[in-house]
Amino acid sequence: MRGSPLLRALLAFIIIGLMGWPLWQLTRPQEVVASTPAPKPAATVATTKAIGLHLTFTTVPKSFVIRHLDKEVWKVTAPAVDMEQQVTLDYPDEGVDLQFHVEWPDDAPLAALRVQLTDPAGDQHEKSVWGKGVVDEVVTFP
Amino acid sequence: MKASFLSLLAFLTLAMAVRAAEPIRVSSFSTILTEIAQQVGGDRVAVTGHVKPGIDPHEFEPKPEDLKVVGQAQLILLSAKHMESYVGKLKQATGTQGAMVEVGDGFASLKMKSEKDPDKVVDDPHWWQSVNNTEKAVKIVRDELTKISPADKQVFTDNAAKYLSTLDGLEKWVKSELAKLPRDKRKLVTSHDAFQYFAKENGFTIHAIEGISSEDQPSSKKVGEIVAAIKAEGVKAIFPESIENPKVMTEITRETGVKIAPALYADGLGETGDVATYVGMYKHNVSTIVEALK
Repeated sequence: MRGSPLLRALLAFIIIGLMGWPLWQLTRPQEVVASTPAPKPAATVATTKAIGLHLTFTTVPKSFVIRHLDKEVWKVTAPAVDMEQQVTLDYPDEGVDLQFHVEWPDDAPLAALRVQLTDPAGDQHEKSVWGKGVVDEVVTFP
Repeated sequence: MKASFLSLLAFLTLAMAVRAAEPIRVSSFSTILTEIAQQVGGDRVAVTGHVKPGIDPHEFEPKPEDLKVVGQAQLILLSAKHMESYVGKLKQATGTQGAMVEVGDGFASLKMKSEKDPDKVVDDPHWWQSVNNTEKAVKIVRDELTKISPADKQVFTDNAAKYLSTLDGLEKWVKSELAKLPRDKRKLVTSHDAFQYFAKENGFTIHAIEGISSEDQPSSKKVGEIVAAIKAEGVKAIFPESIENPKVMTEITRETGVKIAPALYADGLGETGDVATYVGMYKHNVSTIVEALK
């Protein structure tokens, strides 16, 4: 009944092994898994639309550049007093920021640029840029 | 007799000169106001900043040594808009003769729901997140210093003009940087509601995980609402702040898959490096936002 010490030791080892396995399963470090798989954020839909731009200068500049999201959308090196252009850009409901870089002649007095923007819905919005020499300004529409 | 009269006259003149050269003692309870006072006052002021960089001003309480300094101050600058809940005690405990100026009360407040009592509307105290408000604060500090020392009016006017010009430059830089970020991507999910002034000036929508104070804990309903908004609006990143523990943010990222952007400075200046100045702190916030959301 008592058996040999070797057999008893072997039996004890097997019992510990059998108890240890579920214990290890319960306590082992695990990677936390989210209850639901993380979905990708909804993709932003690009809404490229035709925009009308109409510029009127009080003093004709040497040049101007208009950028949208750091990309050039209209550049003219010898502009006229009055200019119109259709450009295409992403125009979300929240509006757009246009970056204007205008170079007026050094000896020109304080000058202004009137910007009329016709949005994709056909509504007109008007803003002004004032300055002397080289002017960098961000104009928000609407 | 004549000699002793001349000696007395010389002594009085010297004493008056020494007195005139003594800097104005200023106590400030905002890291932003500490910088403004130093910039505008120059060497004509000795500014003690009681709220140190990196300290949450929502949780700050003055210690006895602070009260001692305030008692001696000629000008005490407070953020106001209920940021300093201890302002009443400060007046009583110090018996100060100095001018106590609640700078934030000098310009309009944005209103918001109190997280502690949703039926209550409170002023948003984080006015420095608008460069325009900070410019107004500079003018208030300039005028208060001039009242205390009219003889230094020109110094304060010149210093303020120089600092205002720096802030004008910052405003232009901010507009130019944000122009790189489409307006439909200007959704700011932050760890506490400290960016309303910034959002209003720059066309952002805010989803604050917590309420107005960084001490508040968000409800599971509010977290659920934010998770839904992030999914619906396709927000790309969320922003912890320098002082917060972003534990709740981690949970939101797990639910939505958005990334956690580097921390923003909501309640004041940082301790070291670029963010230890107002311009540096503001540029850090804007660059971080643009980089994470574009």
